[in-house]
Amino acid sequence: MPLDDDLEDNPTLTPPPPTTNTATMDEGAAAGDLEEPEDVPTADFRLFASTYSKTKNISAQTIRKGEKDFESHGTRAQQSALDASREAMRDVLSYTRVHHTAKQGGWCRGWVFGDWWREWPEDWEEMQRAKGGKGEGEGKEGDGEKRVLPPLHVRDRVVVLEHSNVATQTLGRAVTGLPKDKPARGREWLLPEEALYLVERGSLDLWWPTRGIEEIFPADGSSPFTNTATKPTTTTTAGEEGEGQEEDEEEDDEYKYGFPLSLQAAYALLIGEDGERGKVSLQKFQVFSNLKRAGYNVIRAPSYSPPIPDDISATQEKPKSISEWLISCLPSSKSSAIDHPPYGPLVPPGLYRSYSTIYNHLSLRPSATSQPSPPVTPQSKSEDSPFKIHYHLYRASTKFVRTRPPPPDFYLSVISATDTSIPTLTEISSLLSSVPADLPKQEWLTGGPSRLYARLKHGYRNVLLAVNDHGVINYMRFAKGGFEREELFRGLDQRVEWSNNWKAGGGKGGGGGGGGKKSGNNGRGSRGGRGGGRGGRGGRGGRGRGN
Amino acid sequence: MASTEGDRKVRISKIAGRYLVFDIDDVAYIRREHGICAVFTGTMPQNPTQNVFLGLPLELYAEDAKMLLDRKVAYIADDPLEHLNKLKSMDDETRKSYLQSIKTQRRNAQLVFDEAKAQSQARHKDKRKPKQQLQVPVVVPTELPPASVNDDAATTTVEQKEEESLFGESSSKPAPAASQKPPVKEKLPAITPTTSNAMLSSDDGTSNPADVENHTALPLYSYLNESGYFITPGLRFGGDFSVYPGDPFRYHAHYMANSYGWDEKIPMLDLVTSGRLGTAVKKSFLMGGQKPATGDSEAGELRAFCIEWAGM
Repeated sequence: MPLDDDLEDNPTLTPPPPTTNTATMDEGAAAGDLEEPEDVPTADFRLFASTYSKTKNISAQTIRKGEKDFESHGTRAQQSALDASREAMRDVLSYTRVHHTAKQGGWCRGWVFGDWWREWPEDWEEMQRAKGGKGEGEGKEGDGEKRVLPPLHVRDRVVVLEHSNVATQTLGRAVTGLPKDKPARGREWLLPEEALYLVERGSLDLWWPTRGIEEIFPADGSSPFTNTATKPTTTTTAGEEGEGQEEDEEEDDEYKYGFPLSLQAAYALLIGEDGERGKVSLQKFQVFSNLKRAGYNVIRAPSYSPPIPDDISATQEKPKSISEWLISCLPSSKSSAIDHPPYGPLVPPGLYRSYSTIYNHLSLRPSATSQPSPPVTPQSKSEDSPFKIHYHLYRASTKFVRTRPPPPDFYLSVISATDTSIPTLTEISSLLSSVPADLPKQEWLTGGPSRLYARLKHGYRNVLLAVNDHGVINYMRFAKGGFEREELFRGLDQRVEWSNNWKAGGGKGGGGGGGGKKSGNNGRGSRGGRGGGRGGRGGRGGRGRGN
Repeated sequence: MASTEGDRKVRISKIAGRYLVFDIDDVAYIRREHGICAVFTGTMPQNPTQNVFLGLPLELYAEDAKMLLDRKVAYIADDPLEHLNKLKSMDDETRKSYLQSIKTQRRNAQLVFDEAKAQSQARHKDKRKPKQQLQVPVVVPTELPPASVNDDAATTTVEQKEEESLFGESSSKPAPAASQKPPVKEKLPAITPTTSNAMLSSDDGTSNPADVENHTALPLYSYLNESGYFITPGLRFGGDFSVYPGDPFRYHAHYMANSYGWDEKIPMLDLVTSGRLGTAVKKSFLMGGQKPATGDSEAGELRAFCIEWAGM
């Protein structure tokens, strides 16, 4: 599975190596005891240390110490190992997210304005697209090719960023082209899943506003927070004035415009039912953050389906060898349906010089791709089908600019393990037809039968399904195989041709015949590894005899 | 903790039909006392680029939630509604106490950071010491503070300054700029609390009792749970549930379980499939169902069976 390969290839995806400090929690605590004499203040620090300090080594080893047992045998050792694991888990999970306000770029604050974009036209993206060239819907034509820009999902953007830091670099978008008097102009807005992911990883301080957006982000671009203290991030002046009363006032002032929200509140505000505006379903969020943690860049897929050019037809123009061309000139070559008599054998008695003719006689049903596929109408793509593309994925190694992302590496659909059945043919084909063709690698395409299985496995279009069972996620890849293109009987024909040629060349002593065939074989782009191999040997044999 | 164990009510946040637990004490409690481990789904802020070990919140099965509810140790809270109501119309008192709790946490965090800073400075000092001793072995070596000294932040800084003044002339450049700075009163670090406990009322759901829906597998689930088994989602092994003989921290799963209705027809092929699959992942395939209630008897009698591949 390619995703597995990626997991192995990509260093950011593998679980982090165990921290250099391999001491277990107990040893760590013991060391702490040694370091700290038991005076009262340090005891207090230790009480909070696990809550606020990040330096605890957290690795799977901390929690799962040693090998698992088969079953309980009621020993104290087993019980204490379990207790230690639970205690370690509790220690690690009681951490509270801390944002270093003093550090430059260490603090990133976002404000929840759930209803700000509520009135935004729902079909704005399509309008922009239709207008063409203007606004966000269309790419600049700087590098020659027009790139389809990712949709903004403006209506779903609910958190506005006050600062930005490293973690927000690939997330969030600003809505441009707004009138000048609009508050929070040019600010970056996050989608609910992005905001929640950032809160969870401790990179975003999410605040609930108690004032309007006009006051927090005035249209003139000034920030009220820079006014309260001339230096925004350090309230040095206020601090020097003294502690106690004044400090309290200063901090109240700090909470004048709103107050920080908890992780729980963030979940309550940002997680919703599927399709709810300004929210994300828990399933999708879990998949999103799972992929983000694994290092992928993830963006929300457009809710409408852009027209997908059918790239497959273009690839069917393969360089043909003369022999193939000759075969295709035969009256009963493929694609032209054979009129079978109402009774009698499928292959009428007669003299056959190639397998292709016989196989074409045997082929009764046209393959699915040789037929023009029925156009996917909006009706056939039923709205309530859970099989839709939800996210576009980019490998960590793919150069990714959020405003102008390259074509996605993967297309992903999020599926519930418990409420969804295996997709029906309609569902899976409409899902597959909503993504562009993803051809096998060029060297596989030209690799002939030796790359047959690589081609078949990769398929010509593919979609990833993330199956989520209460937070446990499994990724599957559905690909459209290209079996109808792998006509194995062509290889048989080549073999026949070669053996004929070998006999003929040997009999006539014509090395030229063999040579000519050989070059023909090369010119075909080595379509047949096996057939070609045999052919090659035959050719050599022929030449040997000729000489 | 132990004293409140008896009347502890676990807050189960119901968000968009899912059941989440945010309080680490609740999580530890239901794991220890009720054999529910469920699934951690959140990113760990301490180590956010891995998927091996995850953090809060904990996502429960509907069956877990129902079981806890029936045992009267938990209540279901409609978190989105409650939060919105609270946030949109917060009275002064709640606001004050919420902000106060945040402030306290911020101060505590600052204390921890100061302490950590002092410790690292002390360690730094210790590291530097041998070098200095080499350079100036004659200068008051005995007056050096002992390595293990570790007072509170203020004293350490003072000592360090003294020491630096002692060595100031002799050693080339011993004083890093940071330690020379006057103790600036920094702004307290910001905090994102994990739970909203300080903001939400301590109402334990009695006023607005919510129930749990969609718990079709509850009979088998609670039967296994009451027999001391731990249950996690079965996706990893290909069944409805993975069943562990104890806390999954210590044991491997023994069964993959499917729940069926009493009169539900089970295709033979499913049994073969699941049985083979179970064998392939070294589990036995367990299936069970509950006899439905009839006119005179209550629902009861749960039967569970294990199927193993005979491998003849």
